[in-house]
Amino acid sequence: MHLFIEQLLNGIAMGSIYALVTLGLALVYGILRILHVAHAAIYTVGAYVGLAVFKFTGSLWLGFGGAMVFCSVLGVAIERLVYYPLLKYPPYVPLIGSIAVMLGIEELCRLVAGPYILTFPARLPFAAVHLGSVTISSTLMAVYAITALVLAVLWYITSRTEMGLAMRATSQDMAIADAMGINSHQVVSATFVLGSSIAAVAGVLVGIYYNQVYPTMGAVPAYKTLALIVVGGMGSVPGAVIASLLLGVAETLLIGYAQIPLPRDALAFIAMIAVLMWRSEGLLGSK
Amino acid sequence: MSGYLITIATIIVINAIVVCGLNVIVGYAGQISLGHAAFFGIGAYSAALLATKAGLSFWAALPLVVTISSVVGLLLGLPSLRVKDDFLAITTIGINFIVEAVFLYIPFFGGALGIGGIPRICLFGLRLKGFSFFLLCLAFLVLVMTACWWFTRCWAGLACFALREDEEAAASVGISPVRFKLLAFVAGTAMAGLGGALYAHYMRFISASDFSFPVSITLLSMLVLGGMGKLWAPLLGAVILGALPEIFRPLVEYRILFYTAILLLMIRFQPSGLLGDESLARKVLAKVVPGGGR
Amino acid sequence: MSEPILRVENLHKHFGGLKAVNGVSFQVAPGEILGILGPNGAGKTVCFNMISGVYKPTAGKIVFDGQRTDGLPPHRLAALGLGRTFQIVKPFASLTVLENVLVARGIANYGRFGRIWGPWRSKDQVRAAMEVLDKVGLADLAGRKAGLLPLGNLRRLEIARALVVGRKLILLDESFSGLRHAEITRLEDLIRAIRQMGITVLLIEHNLRVSMKLCDRIVVLEHGRKIAEGKPEQIQSDLRVIEAYLGRKRRNNAAGG
Repeated sequence: MHLFIEQLLNGIAMGSIYALVTLGLALVYGILRILHVAHAAIYTVGAYVGLAVFKFTGSLWLGFGGAMVFCSVLGVAIERLVYYPLLKYPPYVPLIGSIAVMLGIEELCRLVAGPYILTFPARLPFAAVHLGSVTISSTLMAVYAITALVLAVLWYITSRTEMGLAMRATSQDMAIADAMGINSHQVVSATFVLGSSIAAVAGVLVGIYYNQVYPTMGAVPAYKTLALIVVGGMGSVPGAVIASLLLGVAETLLIGYAQIPLPRDALAFIAMIAVLMWRSEGLLGSK
Repeated sequence: MSGYLITIATIIVINAIVVCGLNVIVGYAGQISLGHAAFFGIGAYSAALLATKAGLSFWAALPLVVTISSVVGLLLGLPSLRVKDDFLAITTIGINFIVEAVFLYIPFFGGALGIGGIPRICLFGLRLKGFSFFLLCLAFLVLVMTACWWFTRCWAGLACFALREDEEAAASVGISPVRFKLLAFVAGTAMAGLGGALYAHYMRFISASDFSFPVSITLLSMLVLGGMGKLWAPLLGAVILGALPEIFRPLVEYRILFYTAILLLMIRFQPSGLLGDESLARKVLAKVVPGGGR
Repeated sequence: MSEPILRVENLHKHFGGLKAVNGVSFQVAPGEILGILGPNGAGKTVCFNMISGVYKPTAGKIVFDGQRTDGLPPHRLAALGLGRTFQIVKPFASLTVLENVLVARGIANYGRFGRIWGPWRSKDQVRAAMEVLDKVGLADLAGRKAGLLPLGNLRRLEIARALVVGRKLILLDESFSGLRHAEITRLEDLIRAIRQMGITVLLIEHNLRVSMKLCDRIVVLEHGRKIAEGKPEQIQSDLRVIEAYLGRKRRNNAAGG
């Protein structure tokens, strides 16, 4: 029982991290209908920039801030230079562009920072919590707290601000939003700023959580998050969060208990195909 | 021709065969597939297993390999009847990851070690290697491209074009979406399976990572760069993306970066492909030769 | 009335709690032009989609050419000789006008596995397709990409495809919507010419003036039920129709022509 609770706590942390990466993808898909695979490269860059700023200034919060600013610029640049001109082509065209961007950024990270694993020796200022015999470590607490904070801020922006309203209108129908006087291009850029900032937070957090930063750290999330936005219901933000948490918990528990022969990275896709065949619009999607 | 050039040329021709299959599925029938490497892998693994475990010759195994690939293609084509567009794209990515995981984690398929000791192909008592193997691959490519050419001329192909353009309208003139989508999947995966068999007997050692998702992306990139749905696109794309890494070899460290940069520039500025209707090459041709752009 | 080419009996279609079509019956006699009329949301399109196989009826019978067809998929209905057009035109955009018609000519082959491997661009096929294009007045544009045609021509192209497939009956889904006055007149002539060929026409129409002029008989739907059926002049004087449809719609249609 004790072990089970610990596994569960780890699973929720894993799921929270998936959620942070998947959020940006869900936001972008919701608004542009593009599979933004390069999002995972933004997350990698976030980890590197966060680490560099942290090493240079000694402040973790500056590290988070620097990563968010840098990644926002990168996200908007990808949107303006690659996606926007390719919107009128079939979806595989921007997708290939996105994958090329991701591979290119991975290579740049490798060339600039070296192919090896860097450590991220920061301590997050959160206290460990003891609940009876179970201890929630300070890193786990940090993951929970930061994810909760990000979700709260995201909820506030999308439901309580004018920009959030414009985002929702644009994701319903870009042409109508334009006709209503919303500058949809600005809204799209704002979406990329929001999604990329969250990815930056995720990158720094993962770097600290595993104490590892390396060029291909985005490779697995890049495709797994695609499965997650499908399971959640294409472009549905709450769906993406729920799917991420479920997957994090399922993966951790399956590794801990069942000795299944398939690797855990295939689990997301098996779940996805099962969901698609059963409910082709995803958990919280609409047709 | 040097051994080095022959190796590159052989791989290019094998890739072109596999991409022809992808062209049937995506270019002709309009069913997006991002998991084509899985079918390439299924062909390679079944050829390797039939050769090493059952002791069959390449020629005896070939019909079986193509049948196995297309039956699996038929099964994995079933999702295309239920999901479309982006959903289908992600489903096929999932299929690729699952097939790769099966190769990697099930001992029957050699697990992490892959399958080695695959014999060379014999023809008329001759063991094919180097240039003679290249010629065999080339002969198969001619066969596959002829089949593709015929496909665009026959009713089955026209039905697939119609489905690609508009499924509802196609059904309204008597085209069964189920029948012709599955037909395209079967034909396309059979070609991938043939390419896989040639690949296995050429490399003589295969492992799961040879058929991972990035390989699918490379195959699709070849097709898109060449020009989706065009007969010669698979060959052109395979030549370009096969030759680029070799041309950039002197760049050593920066090779992959340049490769991805070129890929990005081509997709950004020639999204309909070099043989596509809006391509630069065509526009230039149209100016030089009246009517040459059509 | 002779043996009807199409008989719809007590047709129902429910979406959740919404009864989109709620017990509609009518018949189409060979050689006539029957119009289905009704305000938006009356259930015309849902009816049409059940007849053409897109929806499966919740209850009721559809008999086409002596055969039960409710629940058959669209491609099977096409094979039985039912052609249709779409309200929102669906051309095979990157194919030429001629190729669009050739796709429809494949109807004889798509159902038999042995015949789908034959060539489609034979001289006979092209000649037959050109004849159809000639009938709808698109012969000059045969080599043009379908996606580049204006709406009026696209509607003719769809009628051409429907003519190839619909040996017995063609369904026209609001073919006049979005057209200019001159195009409407030309299309009316085309539909009369089709009737002259002995093909039965069932059309859904929003535009009252056109239906009154063109149809031999009219069925009026409202809220998923049939509220009137008869010759145009009877419909025009039917009180229920005037109340339910004309009264409310007069202002809109005066502008739309």
